[in-house]
Amino acid sequence: MRISKGGLLVIMAFLTPLIVELRTVLSWFGIRLSVVETGALGLALIVAVLIWAMWPSNGDTEAKLA
Amino acid sequence: MAMRNAYIDQFPEEARVIRAALWSSFLALMIGGTLGLIQGLHRTNVLRFIPSQDYYTVLTAHGVLLVITFTIFFLVGIFTWAVTTSLDRGVKDIRFTWGWYAMMSLGTLLVGVSILGGVVDQIPMNADVLYTFYSPFQAHPAFYVGFVLFVVGTWLAGFDWFRTWWAWKKDNPDERIPLPTFMALTTMLFWYLSSIGVAISILAFLLPWSLGIIDSVNPLLTRTLFWFFGHPVVYFWLMPAYMLWYTMLPKLSGGKLFSDPLARVVFVLFLILSTPVGIHHQYLDPGIAEGFKFIAMTNTMFLLLPSLLTAFTVVASMEHGARQRGGEGYLSWLKALPWRDPAFTGMALAGLMFAAGGFSGMINAGLSINYLVHNSWWVVGHFHLTVGTAVALTFMAASYWFIPQLTGKEIWNRSLGLVQVVLWFIGMTFMSNAMHRAGLFGIPRRTAEPQYEGFSFDPAVGTVAEIDAQVALGAALLTLSVYLFITNMVLTTIGGSTSDAIPDNTYAGTLSGPEDSPAIIDNLKLWTSIAVVLVIIAYSLPLASIIDAGGLFGPGIDPWKPSVVVDPSLVLESVRGVMP
Repeated sequence: MRISKGGLLVIMAFLTPLIVELRTVLSWFGIRLSVVETGALGLALIVAVLIWAMWPSNGDTEAKLA
Repeated sequence: MAMRNAYIDQFPEEARVIRAALWSSFLALMIGGTLGLIQGLHRTNVLRFIPSQDYYTVLTAHGVLLVITFTIFFLVGIFTWAVTTSLDRGVKDIRFTWGWYAMMSLGTLLVGVSILGGVVDQIPMNADVLYTFYSPFQAHPAFYVGFVLFVVGTWLAGFDWFRTWWAWKKDNPDERIPLPTFMALTTMLFWYLSSIGVAISILAFLLPWSLGIIDSVNPLLTRTLFWFFGHPVVYFWLMPAYMLWYTMLPKLSGGKLFSDPLARVVFVLFLILSTPVGIHHQYLDPGIAEGFKFIAMTNTMFLLLPSLLTAFTVVASMEHGARQRGGEGYLSWLKALPWRDPAFTGMALAGLMFAAGGFSGMINAGLSINYLVHNSWWVVGHFHLTVGTAVALTFMAASYWFIPQLTGKEIWNRSLGLVQVVLWFIGMTFMSNAMHRAGLFGIPRRTAEPQYEGFSFDPAVGTVAEIDAQVALGAALLTLSVYLFITNMVLTTIGGSTSDAIPDNTYAGTLSGPEDSPAIIDNLKLWTSIAVVLVIIAYSLPLASIIDAGGLFGPGIDPWKPSVVVDPSLVLESVRGVMP
């Protein structure tokens, strides 16, 4: 794993305000999401974060990030 | 094996008082939190099992128990820890310490019973006055007497810490005040100053009015005196959280506090600026001139400075800690922080949410833009981010460090603690976001049934039903979080086993210590004098104007010829009339 389980839990929690507020922000650009669409987008984000977290870490990528 | 050096080992007597204070705090949190769920479900029409008129009793109890009892009992416990730990000496007389704790408890009991009278017929009292208990709402005298006892208890607690410091100073005349003690003392100084407002409001007006000794009061005057205290009390709740962010977060991160002098400056700024701002709660009160409101707005905006300084100092300290633990890069150091520790994670998430609360607070504080959100659900969303998360979540998170210090026992289940603090963050995200959005479209606060007949609100995003569902979901998650917290604390205290692995009772060291700041920063008399002058500037003319226009006891009422006061037997009769 790239991060600790505790860190992953916190990132998942942090996605909540991002997803909830994203819906409001998108509405200012005329993109209106229903609750179901927001939920689906949230789920996709969670899956993406899980894949990133579970993917074996790559030293080069880490170095670039640093 | 090395000897354990937890707080309970250093100060066993003080640990008992702090435990009692923290448990009083937790009990208030549990009851107040449950009442919050009842409110949330009722208002959103998800589940209604109380009549709507009882909503206001529940609302009063929720407010008073959480923002007064929960927060301040925790504060007195933590400040006692801070003073004794940082001065490395016990309180002067433990009986005095138990005395103020008993006085606060008696006050809470009186206030609680008088509020409970709103829903229990057998209790001939009523105090459905909400947390903001100014007139024209009138409570049973027991409510006001209880409140006075509670506040006087906090004054005595402050005196206890001051005389402990005076004793230390006599032995250490050339030493700077240790940072945690400095924080506790500066906080108490503005508390003494600001709580004079509520003391005058109760003792001179509301209590005599409730007893029937005077016939009326000037509502605007009691409102203004309430807010003289009502906004600084916000910082009174917040300062222990700030103290924990400054003294515990860097340590839990594995590093040191970035700057002791900056931390002192922040607390001095709060001492100076906390009180002359209360009128920003009264922007829509017609009896106060706009110029006075502008002064209050200016003072309030200055308060952003210490909060921004805090954000910088605390994050810099956390980064230092993360780098000590091997963290690298511009942002990758975040991964090196101890996210598995509920004490650290809870405090860090609380600080993050406080930033959001600060932004919505700027809207509240703006004289013109406040009109958009005044008395709407936005305001409720705002203070659930500040006192409801920055303060409450920090206190719960800190308990995962303090309860082992005070009991000598390991936390029953630390993983559950981590889930609990994260759950609070998620629940509050749902609830406060929905409340802010609702407020922007005029949905009012303080009402059991906001859906008026023949009128519907039209939010820009989603529907009112979605907002209600989000609030109900958030309230349910928050209540679940409270129960997980209480379960963990109870099982730690009564079921946990004594451990020798409890960490030493210490707080964060500093990268830049007090020696890097001028000694004048520790001159408490100077800062208090400036605070008093600012209060005189901000309040003398508005108060004189309010009294001139509406009299001390209401327009056209001669306060010096009250009909009852002249005859003591009538006073006695009047007092008997309100006794159960």
